[in-house]
Amino acid sequence: MKNNAQVSERFRDFDANLTTRPWIVIGMGLRKFGQIMKFKNYGLWSLIVIVYLFTLSRLLLSDSTNYPCTPVTEEGYRSCVPLNYYGDILQGGMRLFLVSIVAIASGGVIGNDMANKSIHLYLSRPISRLDYLIARFIPVFLVLILVTVIPNVMFFVSMWSDNGLKMEWLQGHKWLIFVLILQGIVYSAGFAIIGLTFSTLIKKENAASAATFIFIYGASIICEIFFIALKVLDVKDADFILLLSVSHLLDYINYAIFDTKYLVAAAFTYWEVDVSGIGAGIIFTVTFAGCCGLMYWMIQQMEANK
Amino acid sequence: MIKARNVVKQYGNLKALDNFSIDIPEGKVGILGPNGAGKSTFVKIALGLLTATSGEITVLGETLTKNTVDIRKRIGYMPEHDCIPDEMTGVEFLIEMGMVSGMSLSGATERTHEILGHLRMGEEKYRLISEYSGGMRQKIKLAQGLIHGPEVIFLDEPTSGLDPNARREMLETINGLTDVSNTRVLLSTHILQDVEMVCDSVIIVKDGKLQMQEDVKAIVGEKSNFIQIRIGGTKEKFIAELKKKKINAEDNERVLIVPYKDDSTYDEIIDAAIKSEAPIYEMERTSQSMDSVYRETIE
Repeated sequence: MKNNAQVSERFRDFDANLTTRPWIVIGMGLRKFGQIMKFKNYGLWSLIVIVYLFTLSRLLLSDSTNYPCTPVTEEGYRSCVPLNYYGDILQGGMRLFLVSIVAIASGGVIGNDMANKSIHLYLSRPISRLDYLIARFIPVFLVLILVTVIPNVMFFVSMWSDNGLKMEWLQGHKWLIFVLILQGIVYSAGFAIIGLTFSTLIKKENAASAATFIFIYGASIICEIFFIALKVLDVKDADFILLLSVSHLLDYINYAIFDTKYLVAAAFTYWEVDVSGIGAGIIFTVTFAGCCGLMYWMIQQMEANK
Repeated sequence: MIKARNVVKQYGNLKALDNFSIDIPEGKVGILGPNGAGKSTFVKIALGLLTATSGEITVLGETLTKNTVDIRKRIGYMPEHDCIPDEMTGVEFLIEMGMVSGMSLSGATERTHEILGHLRMGEEKYRLISEYSGGMRQKIKLAQGLIHGPEVIFLDEPTSGLDPNARREMLETINGLTDVSNTRVLLSTHILQDVEMVCDSVIIVKDGKLQMQEDVKAIVGEKSNFIQIRIGGTKEKFIAELKKKKINAEDNERVLIVPYKDDSTYDEIIDAAIKSEAPIYEMERTSQSMDSVYRETIE
């Protein structure tokens, strides 16, 4: 009896001692990351293992003297190891696997919450809609960081090791490490936003994953085909067509981060691309701001209509 | 508890709330109204999930235009529709909801087991929610609203879709849990008996406008002097005879409801029955439920 009374008293006088919004958001993000990275997600883990095996094989075959870039033309076009990593398989890149990882990791993140309507419970907590979107962005972003930044940093460390772990080499490449991280962040954030947008729009995990894959990878192939056709026909400003593909748009941004002119590998040939930074910036802003705005609007509409 | 001043919520041409002003007192308060009356809209505005088109609303002393997110630390919410993820166990789900409210892992775990103990959930709390019955799902939905120890909980149609036994059990659970945790209640429903069983006061809303605000006990007490009659023969004739004696009988399909003045009312009823040749099968003095009060207000 006394015991029961004590339990009731504690229940009545309960003080939850709640934490602040940033910690709630970070906690939500990390718990979801843990759920995505469970070992039972065989598909995702298989792709991550492939990425790391591929990175190891590239490490074994690489030549440290040409790291990070090799000049291709006299006009300043270069072939760079960290940039090629994000290219297609024929270029020695991981794009196919990265896009597959994005599709699998992001497919159900928001969509499942919307399908089972648990989003209403999340949004009734002390977090805003933007907080919720950030909390759902974090796990996908972290999964992608695992396959973008870390393999490239591993490559960088390996190159340093090949050069005898000399401090002079490290000092000579001191900005490269920051560039590699920035590059990984741009790809991870960009792909994560696209994946989450489809998850929000479609609300069905598998369909959202398929749509993300087609939108990123399929669109890149279609744009390349049109690009080559327009180039062959010698159409002016044909290069802009590439920016209609998210992966090429992100490639362009990352070539800019590397201070290198954009070089596209398509139809087993390297093509020099020359587009204005302002045009690319506008397309980038419109695409990603549009995706974020659309997600926010859809959640808001769902809340208003139950 | 909640103060609303000239609140308007407009969806295109539709006014879900039309110049809605109210002072909702402390305690357990029910919002009654037909479907589309604006009950859920008001609850969502009070929760900060929707923004009012105009007007001002204050919840627990905080103005919602200034602080729509942090106020939810002090409010619990149980939505009407099924919104629990099937792939989690009851315990996992409540811990997650506790942590999304800002609780620590240990705090959320402890509180989860305490609440589930009060809900008398034994080993089934470790089962997947997909295996739960409708009543158990509703209990889990209620528990998630109370997990962070809110000062007030908003319940949106908490008994919808439940059979009579599960409904009674749910209402008893609401009463039990909110009493033991000293939590105030705002219950939005269109089921009158739910309000009678849980609430101290009631608000009736229709077409986004406040129709009535009253103490439940006062309504039921005020309207308790009625005689319920079941007769044979033609009702119309009997009602006409009563009318001659200046007694207005309300035809409730199964029974007739007649206001009780004093014991002479019985004699007048019997006299009317004799004159209209309508045999009386049953006659008893009874208290009236909120049903007719609600219908009178709405109509």
